[in-house]
Amino acid sequence: MASRPRLRKFVLTVHVTSSVGWLGAVAVFLALSVVGLTSRDAQVVRGVYLAMESAGWVVLVPLSLASLLTGLVQSLGTKWGLLRHYWVLVKLLINVVAGIVLLMYMQTLGYLADRAADTTLPSGDLSAVRSPSPVLHAAVGMLLLLVAATLSVYKPRGMTRYGQRKQHEQRTAPAAIDAATPARPRPSGTPS
Amino acid sequence: MPDLSPYPDSYPDAGAESGAGSTTGPPRWVKVLGIIALVLVLLVGAVMLAGGGGGHGPGRHTSGGDTGGQRPPFTATGAGGLGGHKPPSTATGSGGPGGHKPPAGGHTP
Repeated sequence: MASRPRLRKFVLTVHVTSSVGWLGAVAVFLALSVVGLTSRDAQVVRGVYLAMESAGWVVLVPLSLASLLTGLVQSLGTKWGLLRHYWVLVKLLINVVAGIVLLMYMQTLGYLADRAADTTLPSGDLSAVRSPSPVLHAAVGMLLLLVAATLSVYKPRGMTRYGQRKQHEQRTAPAAIDAATPARPRPSGTPS
Repeated sequence: MPDLSPYPDSYPDAGAESGAGSTTGPPRWVKVLGIIALVLVLLVGAVMLAGGGGGHGPGRHTSGGDTGGQRPPFTATGAGGLGGHKPPSTATGSGGPGGHKPPAGGHTP
């Protein structure tokens, strides 16, 4: 059992690094999408959209999945639980919603990258390549992940009904067992 | 056991639970977050309905909703005409009527 705290620490480390890494990657994404929207250099604009698709598959999607999986393991392996505290529940919802939207949005990023790679498009007409959509998605995603990070640090109070019920069961269970167990005769010589 | 947390409205870092969080209804911060989330969802839904988009995916960005409809969809092969939507898989420039075009971007000063 000595390895369990080590394992828990390891999972926590992976969870924190993947979650914060996801936040950082989205921040870079936001910066890239702003550059893609505002730059006058056609090569830069095209390069930005091509890079965003690759970074999405290689960095964003794996980090989001790692954050979700390690968060599930972490919550189920500790006394916090998954559905007992509101702050854990809200973080779970944020993670799931952000992950689903990200996976769906990868289609759009692929399309934008295809347009950016399309050499038949007129080089001067960047409006065919630019899109404000990545800026909007990255900004909202960053906001959500910042809320999740804040919840992790502050851990605001509040238990769900399920958590309250579980807590009540845990407090009453030992007392019920003690009451049901017949008192054994104390061996002689045992200090009271 | 006294609550050693420096923040009275938050759990201590060690994860020790106390009965102070055991109220019947959700706390105020959950309600505030819920209202903000609801407003955001309604706002996004209204924008999607107003823009005529069909949710996430390439279709949303080929309908002109993304760029405000200022520019018709680009057709590389010239075979379009039925809506003008070009699937991403044909965006490699396989030799349309326009023949060869110089690479995008070109030389910039």
